Amino acid sequence: MTATFALIGNPNTGKTSLFNELTGSYEYVGNWVGVTVEKKVGVLKDKSAQLVDLPGVYSLSPLSEDEGVATRFLLEEEYQGILNIVDASQLERNLYLTVQLLEYGKPLIIGLNMLDVAKSRGMEIDLSRLTTGLQVPIYPVIARKGTGCDQLSLALTQLKDKQEPLVLDYGKVLEEAIQQIGEKWTGKGLRWLALQFFEGNKMVREYLEAHIDPAFLQELYGETEKLVKAETGETSLPHWIRRVRSQWIKELCQEAVIHSAKKAVPFSEKIDHLVTHPLLGVPVFLLFMFLVFKMTFDWVGSPLSDILDGIITGPITTGLQWVLQAVGTSQFMQDLVLKGIVAGVGGVLVFVPQIFILFFFISLLEDSGYMARVAIVMDRVMEFFGLNGKAFIPMIIGFGCNVPGVMAARTIEQPGERLLTIILTPLMSCSARLSVYSLFVGAFFARNQAMVVFSLYFLGIGVALILARILSPFMNKGRASVFLVELPPYRFPKWLSLFRHTWEKGKGFVRKAGTYIFGGSVLIWLMSTTGPAGFQVRMTESYLAIIGGFISPLFSPLGFGTWQAGAALLTGFLAKEVVVSTMNILYMSGDMASLQGILVHAFTPLQAYSLMVFILLYIPCLATIAVIKKESGSAKWTWISIGISLVTAYLLTLVLYQVGLLLGIGT
Amino acid sequence: MTLTQIGKEKPARIINMELVTPVVRRRLLDMGIMEGTLVQLKRSLPFGGPCMIEAGGQWVGIRRSDADKIRVERV
Repeated sequence: MTATFALIGNPNTGKTSLFNELTGSYEYVGNWVGVTVEKKVGVLKDKSAQLVDLPGVYSLSPLSEDEGVATRFLLEEEYQGILNIVDASQLERNLYLTVQLLEYGKPLIIGLNMLDVAKSRGMEIDLSRLTTGLQVPIYPVIARKGTGCDQLSLALTQLKDKQEPLVLDYGKVLEEAIQQIGEKWTGKGLRWLALQFFEGNKMVREYLEAHIDPAFLQELYGETEKLVKAETGETSLPHWIRRVRSQWIKELCQEAVIHSAKKAVPFSEKIDHLVTHPLLGVPVFLLFMFLVFKMTFDWVGSPLSDILDGIITGPITTGLQWVLQAVGTSQFMQDLVLKGIVAGVGGVLVFVPQIFILFFFISLLEDSGYMARVAIVMDRVMEFFGLNGKAFIPMIIGFGCNVPGVMAARTIEQPGERLLTIILTPLMSCSARLSVYSLFVGAFFARNQAMVVFSLYFLGIGVALILARILSPFMNKGRASVFLVELPPYRFPKWLSLFRHTWEKGKGFVRKAGTYIFGGSVLIWLMSTTGPAGFQVRMTESYLAIIGGFISPLFSPLGFGTWQAGAALLTGFLAKEVVVSTMNILYMSGDMASLQGILVHAFTPLQAYSLMVFILLYIPCLATIAVIKKESGSAKWTWISIGISLVTAYLLTLVLYQVGLLLGIGT
Repeated sequence: MTLTQIGKEKPARIINMELVTPVVRRRLLDMGIMEGTLVQLKRSLPFGGPCMIEAGGQWVGIRRSDADKIRVERV
C-alpha cells in the first residue's frame, strides 16, 4: 500500500493549483470558494504516494456541507501525513488552521504559497524563525507557476513518521475540563478531541457522544463555559479558545514577519470600483453575459458550427458511405450508420464549438475572482426572492451543465436555502439545451439569434426566482437567510489553466455524444424503422410514431402536438441534446441546414418558441436527477423537483402559446 | 457606534459583535475577524444591499443587517 497524504488549507490559497502541480493531473482549479466540493485523489508525479485534495476550510469545525469532508477525513481515514498549504499574504488567518492541525499531531509539512503577494503588501517573512516556532518543515512555493513544487514533493516523501502534538496553555479551568473528558475517553487524541468539542465542533461532538453520555458532555460544556467566561471576561468558550490560539500566532508572527511601510493600492480595489458600483454593478454583469452570448452565437460560435456541419455532412458522410459500400455492407447497416448514427451523433457534435466557447467564459468568470463579486452584486435581488447571493453561483455554473451547478450548492450554509438552490438550479438553461435552441433559432429567428436565446436564459432565471419566492417560506421555516462571501483578489487567469478548465468541462459533452447519444440514436433509428408490421416500415407506421402519437394530444394546446415532437420530448429525458438527434433522424434530414428547412414548414415561429420554452423547463435530464437525489439525500425532494418542472413548464407554455395565438404573434 | 454608522474608509476597532447572526459571526471568527480586530467599511450596495468590509488585507461581503450589529470604536 502506498502512502497517502492529505492536502489541506484555507479556501483561495492556491490549493488546487498546488495539487495539479504535484500530481500532474488536470484537476479543476477555480478562484471561487468551494470549487473543490468533493475529495479528490491524485498520484504524485514520482508515483511514490497518493495525495488527497480536501475542500478549503478555515477551521476544522465545519459550518457548511463541503467543510465537513475535511474534518471527517482527518477523523476517519487512513493517511500518513498532512500537507498544509498556507497563504503567506494572509499568514495569521491561515496559521489558525495550522495550529489546529499541529494540535492534532499528525506529521505535517507546510507549503508556503504567495510569498510574492505578501511582499507586494510589504510583508517580509523570516522562514527560519517561522520554522523554529512551528517545529515543522516549511517550503516556499509559487503554486500557480509550479516553482518549488519538486522540493516540496521530495520533502513530503521524506516526512518523519511521528510528530509531537502542539500543546498550548488554555488556562486552569479548561485544562481540568479536558482531564474530565479524559476519565471517560480511552481512545487516541484526547486533547485535540476535547478542545474541538469545547470549540463547538459539531462533528467531534457527535463522535464523542457515541462513547460518552451526551448529558454529561452537555453539563460539562455549560459548566466550563460559565467558569471560563467569569475568569477571562470572554463572551463564549469558543472565543476563549480562539483567543489563546490567536495570541500564540500573533507572538510568532511578531518575531517572524517584518512589515514595511510600502503599500501599493491593490489592483483589485480599482476593478471593484467598477464591477460593484452601486448603480453600474448589475448592468456591468448583464452586459458581460450578453457579450458572452454574442460571442457564442453571433460572432464566433455559429460560424464555427456551420463549418463543422459542412465537414460532417460533406466529407465525413460521403467518406463513410464509400467505405461502407466498398466493404459490401447491407443496406440496413448503411442506413443505420448514415441515417441513424451520423445524423444523431453528428447533429449534436456540430454544437461543440458553441459549447466550448460558453464553457471558456464560465471558466474565466470562476478563475478571475469575478464570481464572488457577482454574488455580492446579486445578493439584494436574491434576498427578495428568499435566497442569498451565493445561490447565484450554482445557477451560473448551471448554464454550463446542471450537474456541477447542483453540486456547487454545497457552499451555501443555510440548509433550507441550499435545498431550494438544488431544486431550482436545473431550471437554468444548460449547454445541452443550447443545441436545441441553436437549431430552432437558426431556422426561425435567424436575425435575432442572441436576443432570442438570451430571452430563454432570462426566462429560466426568472421562473427559478419566482418559484424560490413561493417556496422559500416552506423551506426556510423561519430560519434567517444568511450571506457572507469572501472576496478573493482578482487574479489574471493563466491561459493554460483556463484552457484545461474549459476542456475539463467540455469533454463531458463530447463523451456524452459518444455514449448516451450514440446509444439513443441507434435506439431511435431502430424504433423509427420497425413497427407492428415488421422491419423497414414507413416511419409513420413505426413504433416511435405510435408512442409519440399517443402522448402528442397532450401537447396540442401548447402548439406542438405532432408525434415527432412527442417522441423527441420523451427521448430528451435521457439528455437534452437527444431532442436534436431525434429530430434529425425523424425528419430524415441530412444536415442542419436541411433540417432547419423542414422545421420551418412543420412549425410556426410561435410554436417553435413554445417548444423551446417547454424544453427549457420540462424536466431535469437523467444525470441531473441522479445528482439531485444524491445532494438532497431525499427521494421526496427529487420527485418534487421533477414535479415542479413539469407543471411549471406545461402551464407557462400553455399560457404563452394561447396568448400568442390570441394576439396573432408569430403565427 | 456601529460599523455602518462610522462610514466608509474610516479605520475602526470591533468592540462587540454578539448580535450578529450566529453563522455569520462564526465565519467571521474563522477569518480572524473578532472583537479587537481593525476593520474598515469599504463599499456598500444600494437598496439596503450587502457591504464589503476589509480586515488585514482581506475583503468580505456581508449583509447590511449584520454590519449594523457590529459595534466599533474609532481609532
